Amino acid sequence: MNASTVRTVQKPKPNYETIAWKWMRYSALLLIPLVWGHVLLQDIIVGVHRIDLDYVALRWASIGWRTYDTLLLAFAFAHGVNGIRQVLRDYIHSPAKQKWLNWGLLAFWVVIVAIGGIALIGGVRTIP
Amino acid sequence: MQINLKIFRYLPDSGNKPHYDKYVMEVNPTDRVLDVLEQVRADNDPSLAYRRSCAHGVCGSDAMQINGHNALACKVLVKDLDSTDITIEPLRGLNVLRDLIVDMEPFFDHFRSVQPYFINDSELPADGKERLQSPTERERFDDTTKCILCAACTSSCPSFWADGKYVGPAAIVNAHRFIYDSRDTAATERLEIMNEATGVWRCRTIFNCTEACPRDIKITKAIAEVKKAIITGKLEN
Repeated sequence: MNASTVRTVQKPKPNYETIAWKWMRYSALLLIPLVWGHVLLQDIIVGVHRIDLDYVALRWASIGWRTYDTLLLAFAFAHGVNGIRQVLRDYIHSPAKQKWLNWGLLAFWVVIVAIGGIALIGGVRTIP
Repeated sequence: MQINLKIFRYLPDSGNKPHYDKYVMEVNPTDRVLDVLEQVRADNDPSLAYRRSCAHGVCGSDAMQINGHNALACKVLVKDLDSTDITIEPLRGLNVLRDLIVDMEPFFDHFRSVQPYFINDSELPADGKERLQSPTERERFDDTTKCILCAACTSSCPSFWADGKYVGPAAIVNAHRFIYDSRDTAATERLEIMNEATGVWRCRTIFNCTEACPRDIKITKAIAEVKKAIITGKLEN
């Protein structure tokens, strides 16, 4: 019996579906440490009952935590939006409408992450 | 043993709405569901319509829903249903032509769309005979050669119910059979077809197809392998 071999064939050109599928998986890989880190810190190490305004101010004082929270928002929301896309695809069958759906949801994700990112990283103006 | 049988009935253009006929029957526990249907047709109602051919689980003609699960009527014994209430309905996702007979044409259209035949236009080997393949290379796609096109898998798939344009598990299984055949040269073309919006990406990996397959083909695994081949361009033999 011959040893196993690998044949290489020309890959199809990536399309929206391929990119979305890869994105769902790669973003999940990034989400695992981000979500577990968040849950461990907020719910176990600190504990939800000790989260108060001072703690929020402490976290907000660090650009690292603000970036962390923005990444968490971006990847978690992307994951959710792609899930919504899959569900809506069951009801939207016309290719033209599916294209609108794809780009519309992408724009929705960009807008929400931009607003969240500006609020988190940009911070808030303190009232004098 | 006595069973309470419910059979879906529908005759388009008859003016009657789809309904269920009910029968209380004496059957043997070792009777197959197909035997029960034959008994109904012989003793109660000769107008009952269903497909059957070999009656031995090879031709794939008599796929239907038996107590909500897709199966071949000729492979399911009454005693294995674990219930004396038996409901028989046509496959989902395909239009009913009459009683338990569905329109298989959309299913076969998807099957044909993946080029389910051997393609190799290169010169024959020097001896002018067959293109050889090692046992390992043949083993690679053995599982997906078992498909009998009964449609039990495709008609159990919610993605197919929602969008009939999705090629469905059976078409992907048959694409897999040739994509992974070391002698075939059209893997790229088939991967292109599989990469379309109506191709493999509609699969949500819920394993309904694998559970429904009367030939025990690992369908969800085959679909995952085709997805991997699209992403990597590598076909592991």
